[in-house]
Amino acid sequence: MALRDFTAPALPRANSSAARVVPLLTTAITAILAILPLRIPGYAALTPAIALMAVYHWTIYRPDLLPPLALFAIGIGEDLLAGSLVGIGALTLLVTYAAVLQFRRHFVGRSFPFVWAGFTLVAGGAMIGLWVLHCLLEFSFINPRNTVFRMVLTIAVFPAASFLLGRTQRALVDGPRPLRDR
Amino acid sequence: MVIRLSPQLRAGIQRSTLPALILLSAAIVVVGKTDQTMFETFRTGLNDAASPALDVMARPLGAAEAALDRVRGLFGIYQENRRLEQENARLLQWQQVALKLTTENRQLQGLLKVVPDRAVSYVTARVIANSGGAYVRTVMINSGTDGGLARGQAAITGDGLVGRLTEVGSRAARVLLITDLNSRIPVRVEGSRTSAVLAGDNSERPRLLYVPAPDGVKIGDRVVTSGEGGVFPPDLPVGVVSATGGSGPRVEPYVELSQLSYVMVVDYGLSGALPQPIPPMARPGKRGKAASTEDPQATARGAR
Repeated sequence: MALRDFTAPALPRANSSAARVVPLLTTAITAILAILPLRIPGYAALTPAIALMAVYHWTIYRPDLLPPLALFAIGIGEDLLAGSLVGIGALTLLVTYAAVLQFRRHFVGRSFPFVWAGFTLVAGGAMIGLWVLHCLLEFSFINPRNTVFRMVLTIAVFPAASFLLGRTQRALVDGPRPLRDR
Repeated sequence: MVIRLSPQLRAGIQRSTLPALILLSAAIVVVGKTDQTMFETFRTGLNDAASPALDVMARPLGAAEAALDRVRGLFGIYQENRRLEQENARLLQWQQVALKLTTENRQLQGLLKVVPDRAVSYVTARVIANSGGAYVRTVMINSGTDGGLARGQAAITGDGLVGRLTEVGSRAARVLLITDLNSRIPVRVEGSRTSAVLAGDNSERPRLLYVPAPDGVKIGDRVVTSGEGGVFPPDLPVGVVSATGGSGPRVEPYVELSQLSYVMVVDYGLSGALPQPIPPMARPGKRGKAASTEDPQATARGAR
């Protein structure tokens, strides 16, 4: 175990090869959940960006299991299925991944409110970025009302999503810790 | 055969993957925006492939909603019954009026030798996905060319117009809702009989554009399809004018577009009248014949 002294902040080994696909699987599932037709008035426009939550969570805790190429594929698939402009979803997921990866060391091991605040910044940035991008692409001023509501909803739903993702991670992904850490 | 890469090279590739993919995504967005037909084949292909799975996943949602509805219905059952009885009495009166008018109308049409409207047929399909997000208003339905659908056909519910088919695969099709930023529907404002174009802007209430005399449009006026262009049947109910002035008249759709579960697709027998895309290579003699899955271009579509 001498090696651990040098690689202390490194990520624990995943439970099994099946567990290694859990982050990607959950991200893909959240992308599909977002397009399921829930018949709540006005919901389609305000659907919280749950795929963004999955990417945020896994980038902080298990970036090793979140290859960019797979994120790209999930994003493109989401765009094709949702009927949105192709590439927009992939761009959002990848930029989020890249941004969170830059600052991930500040988030690892921090308390939940801190992580939530980080997500607020990420989600806010992503939503505003998407709005600006769509305004530019459509050459028109799109009413930002829905964007703001969607942003608020996304941030508000994050604790629940984070809890579920955290539980999933502990149950399926992270292997048993070495005795020394317990 | 395994290609062995030097560790430096491998690290380099790993480092550059993310920026490369981000650039690629951005490029796809721009290219896809300039040539909206580029990803059409992928879209319909993936939609067809995912249609059965989405259908299965959407079903429990539908069942749960139905169960909730039933429980909710139990509480108001007495009031609901009273209301329905009253409504039924009123509707029976209307039925008499309608029967009388139909007979009269038929007689007058016979006298005037009016060319009858084309017979219209319907295909009913279930909504299996919507577009999560603030920038698109579409739904996916679980029927396609296999069910006889074609691009450009109108999707309606019992209440009124929902939208227009923009992508049609063999098992799934996408409906561009009338509220989408790219939706343009020729309509007529009843009462003043003015023609206009109903233009979505991603808000709940689309705008009326190109109204010749905006002052003639009053709040509460019914808006129906005009049938101009021959793509939609005329007189499909669309909504009522709910606001005037300011940024122009706006229309409140009759259909609650966020709560669609089934839609009917209207086959007016005229989808060939829609400017069907002509493949750049082979230009077929019959424009109307081309089925939409074979069309790489979509001149009829908006931006998506």
